[in-house]
Order: sequence, then structure tokens, then C-alpha cells
Amino acid sequence: MLIELKDVNKTYFGAQPLHVLKGINLGIERGEFVSIMGSSGSGKSTLLNILGILDNYDSGEYRIGGKLIWDLSESKAAEYRNKMIGFIFQSYNLISFKTAVENVELPLFYQGVSRHKRHEMAMEYIERLGLKDWAGHYPNEMSGGQKQRVAISTALVTKPDIILADEPTGALDSKTSVEIMDLLKELNEREKLTIIVVTHESGVANYTNKIIHIKDGVIGQIDENRSHDAMRFGSEGVLK
Amino acid sequence: MRFDIDRYKEIVDTLARNRSRTLLTGFGIFWGIFMLLIMLGGGNGLKAILSRNFAGFTSNAVIVGSSRTTKPYGGFKRDRYWSLDKTDIEAIKTLVPESDIVTMMDAEWGGAIVYGENSYSGIIKGLTHEYEGVEAPQLMFGRFINEVDCEQERKVCVIGKRVWSNLFPDGEDPTGKYIKVKDSYFQVIGVDSRSGGINISGSSDQSVVIPYQLMNKLYNKGGKFDIICLTAKPGADSEVLQEKIRGLLSRRHTIAPDDKSAIMILDTKKVFTIVDNLFKGVNILVILVGLGTLLAGAIGVSNIMMVTVKERTTEIGIRRAIGATPRMILSQIITESIGLTILAGMLGILFSVLILWAAGSVVSSMPDFSSGISFQIGFWTGILVLLMLVFLGVLAGLAPALRAMNIKPVDAMRDE
Repeated sequence: MLIELKDVNKTYFGAQPLHVLKGINLGIERGEFVSIMGSSGSGKSTLLNILGILDNYDSGEYRIGGKLIWDLSESKAAEYRNKMIGFIFQSYNLISFKTAVENVELPLFYQGVSRHKRHEMAMEYIERLGLKDWAGHYPNEMSGGQKQRVAISTALVTKPDIILADEPTGALDSKTSVEIMDLLKELNEREKLTIIVVTHESGVANYTNKIIHIKDGVIGQIDENRSHDAMRFGSEGVLK
Repeated sequence: MRFDIDRYKEIVDTLARNRSRTLLTGFGIFWGIFMLLIMLGGGNGLKAILSRNFAGFTSNAVIVGSSRTTKPYGGFKRDRYWSLDKTDIEAIKTLVPESDIVTMMDAEWGGAIVYGENSYSGIIKGLTHEYEGVEAPQLMFGRFINEVDCEQERKVCVIGKRVWSNLFPDGEDPTGKYIKVKDSYFQVIGVDSRSGGINISGSSDQSVVIPYQLMNKLYNKGGKFDIICLTAKPGADSEVLQEKIRGLLSRRHTIAPDDKSAIMILDTKKVFTIVDNLFKGVNILVILVGLGTLLAGAIGVSNIMMVTVKERTTEIGIRRAIGATPRMILSQIITESIGLTILAGMLGILFSVLILWAAGSVVSSMPDFSSGISFQIGFWTGILVLLMLVFLGVLAGLAPALRAMNIKPVDAMRDE
């Protein structure tokens, strides 16, 4: 079990305490291509934050590869994120004043990889995602699909255990969305990467091999989706 | 943290991304440094100009002059004229142990000095070789009067710079030549280039200095003169020295002990102290004003950095998400702040040094300031200012950096 959650609870204490996650139990194996689906307010973003060690949980247990993620210092959390998790966000989250290749280099920079090596590795991933000619361009000179490819390169470059994608197609048109999802699928199949996609679009979810439904802070149904027909959308390349 | 070119490239990128903002923020620091250094340098220059006036003068010299009495005393009416004589010098030497060099000075005004076709009307001063210890001559050519000149009453003279340039317009070495002073011929043995502002019996650049003993005889002075120049022994209290001399002279010449105008005493130490204190005061003021301006600049930088951090929440969040530790973010922001202050400050240093240099060369090129007057700040002042800049940079970056450090990756995601 690569990812193990046992009775994870999370409450936001505001003016009105909000119990967002009410005992999540979940296991994800290495090499799985999973989607977490839920409507807004279902707790899926919170779950994603916890999975990505971006946020703490109140009780329960969360383990990555057997390592307990609990009460980590900020720098330890940063180190784990850097080494174990690659993020893909809806809004790409690229740094606007850095070129594509510099963006991809950044996680390696924080890992302390030497300048030369860093550039080499980043270029390798950029090339693999077909962006060789765009390596020196800034994010605002690229299309949404290209930006998301850069973001995926950034996520991949540290060779993480888990890729966490938060609405990876949220800002893309349907054609590009298909391309990106195909790319993720290919990465999962060819490189045996563990990919978790958080989405509210059933079409996107349908691309994955397993769909975990979350509703009101608890895990609902888990659909095996090997044949990619669990959803009405998503078959035959129709996403939106 | 390890050295990495990208770290510095990053800072340059960030600063270059918002050129106008960087420029305006940096201007505060630039102006602070600029003003501080200009004022410091200006103070140095003024001090140099003023100090030039005292150049060569020993700081512990005391000049005693005789003048008309202003009070009736011992049967004498007021307005009596009196003179010093050689016995006074002997008396001071024996009775005032605080005195070191004691020597006389006499002057004749308006004597025609002639060499060939050139003539000049200057001052004839009678001095002894001992005078060298009171006011060191700056000899361009030759030497000063020595003991043998005085003993043998040799007809030799040391001429001032202006006398030299008038009599020898071609600028040649006049030593060995004979010039006519009033009715006698003197051999020139040296040229004194001093043109200082402390002048006793007229400016030294317009003077012809001859041995006193000779002057006394030539001009029938009868052993009388008006001025005694002396120096205090090292460590001696010049106040005590002055009191003793005043007492001694008033007794010897029957002058009211409280008649300060009859016995005029000038203490160069006092003058030096006043000037010194003046510039100490000016410096303190300059430093206060300069530091104030600098601090205001630093607060400006801090303020802008604060805004920048707020603006960059997302960027910082991304960095945190992909593995930057809070420490890394902290050091990034502080380095940025230091980078900005140092960049602006260096420009300030550069410009102020350039302007001070220009001011220095303009002033030095003026005819009266032949010796170079430097308005420049010292090297170590520069280094100190640089260190101060680093410190200010850290100070300015601290608050924004702490804020940036507390940005959590989730905050960034939520911010969108």
C-alpha cells in the first residue's frame, strides 16, 4: 500500500466549526491511476491538501509508503513534498517570470541539485513532453495545454512516488483536456506512476482506472473503471 | 546556504521585473547614502580648507605681542606704547619652565624688494632659526635660516612664494641669487611656499625672512621688537603658561595685570580646539541627518517588500508546495532586500564619490589652493557604509521575510 489513510478527520475552526473530513479510510496501491470525485464542498480539496502534505489533519493516520505523516515541521513537510509528491494544478502554478525550463528546474533547485545537472534533467522532461522548442519561453507566451505540460514536467522531474493532480483540465478546452488526460494515462501505463486526479468532472474521472466518490466528508462508492465506462462522459474522447 | 548563481539571478529577476518600483524604492536608499556621504565629504573638504590655514603651525604655539596699554598703571598714563626686548626672552626662558621654544619676531612693512628689473613691495621679517619649530616652512627651494646665519648675521634671506613669483617670473631656482631689500643686498637661500591663513606680521608668502640679529642692526631697532613666539613643552598646560607670561611681562614692563589688550596673547591650541569641536559638531549633525534619511529609505524598502510579499503569495506558495523550506523563503526575501539596498547604496556611494571628486578638483584648481584639497570620504568610511547597508537590508527585509515565511502552500492555492 503506497497510500494509507485510517479514520482521518479534519475540522476547520472558524466562526462556525466545519467538520470537513469525517473519518476517511482509503488505500491506494503503487502504480494506480485513481480519481477522487466529488462536488464542491464535499471535502475533496481538503483531502487533496492532506494527501499532498499541504495541510494537517486532526486525527487518524496517514502513511505514504509506510511513513507516518503526522506533526511534521514545516521544513520536513517541504522535504517530503519535494521528494515524494509531484503537483499538477488547475491554474498550472508556474512562476510567471521564469521560463519553462527554469520552472521545471525549481524543485531540483530546492533539492540542492547542481546547476548543470538540474538543467539537464529539466530539459529531459521538457523534451519528453514535446516542449523542446518552448523551453526558453515564459508561461504567458504559451497556450494552456503547453503550460499544463510544463507543470507536469515540473511534477515529474523529481521522480516522485505520487502525482497529485487537482482539476488538471479545469482551465483547458475539451481538445486540450483530452490531450492532457491521455498524457497522464500514458505516464501511468508506461512509467507505472501513481497518479491521483481530483476532479468534479465525470469525464475526467472516467479516464482513470478507479473512481473514488467523496461526499459530505466520507468516502462513498469506489468504482473499478478498467473499461472506462463508469461514466456517461469521457468515452470516445468526449470530456466536456 | 550553498552558493548558487541561480539564487542571485533570481534576485536580479525579481528586482528587474518591477523596474519602476525597484527604482523608486532604491531611490530612498540611494538618496540617504548620497546625502550622508556628500555631507561627510563636504565636511572633510571644509575642514581641509580650514586646516590649510594652520598647516605647518604647531598646535601648541603661543604668540605674545606688545600693544598700547589701555589702562593707567604704576604712574604711567594709558595709551603708552611699549616694546619687548631680548631680556624678556631670557626671563621667560628661565622663569617659565613650561615654555619650550622662545623666539622673537620683528617686521618691517613696505620694503621694496628688487631683482634685476622686477620689484615687489613686501614685508621684511626678522626671525631666528628657532622659529622653524613654531611654524614649519614649506620650502620649495633651498633651506631655512640656520643657527650660523643668525650668529654671524649673514645677509641671507628666505623669500615667500609671491615674492619669488614676482621677482623670478620664469620660475627658476633663486637660491644663490642676490636680491635688493630696501638698501641692502641679500643672498636668497630658500623659497617658502606657505600661504597659510594664520599670519603673524603679515602673510608669509609676501615676506622676506632675514636673521633677526641682522635686522635689528640694519634698521636700528635698538634691540626692541613687538612679538615673541613660543611653544609650550609637551604636556604643559598652555593656560598656565599664558598666565605666567602675562604676569611676568606685566611686572617687567609695569603694565596693569588685567590689561589684556596691552599684552596680546594668541593661543593656537585654543583655535585648533575650537575648529576641531566645530567639525566634530558638524560631523555629528551630518551623521544624524544622514542616518535619519537612510533609515527612512530602509523603512521604504521594508514597506515595498511587504507589498511585494503580499503580491507574491501565490508564487511563494508554489515554491513552498514544490519543496522550499520556510528558511529558504526567508533567506530569499532577505537577500532580495539586501540586494536592493546594496545596489541602490552602491550607486549612492559611486555618485557621491564622483561629485566629491569633482568638487575637490574644482576647488584644488583655484589659484589659492595649490595644494590639493580633498573632499573625499575615507576608504574605511566607505566600507563602514557598505556594512551598514547590509545591516539595513537585513533590517528592512526582516518583517516582510517573516511574513513570507508564514505563507503556507495552502494559502497560495486558496488565494486564487
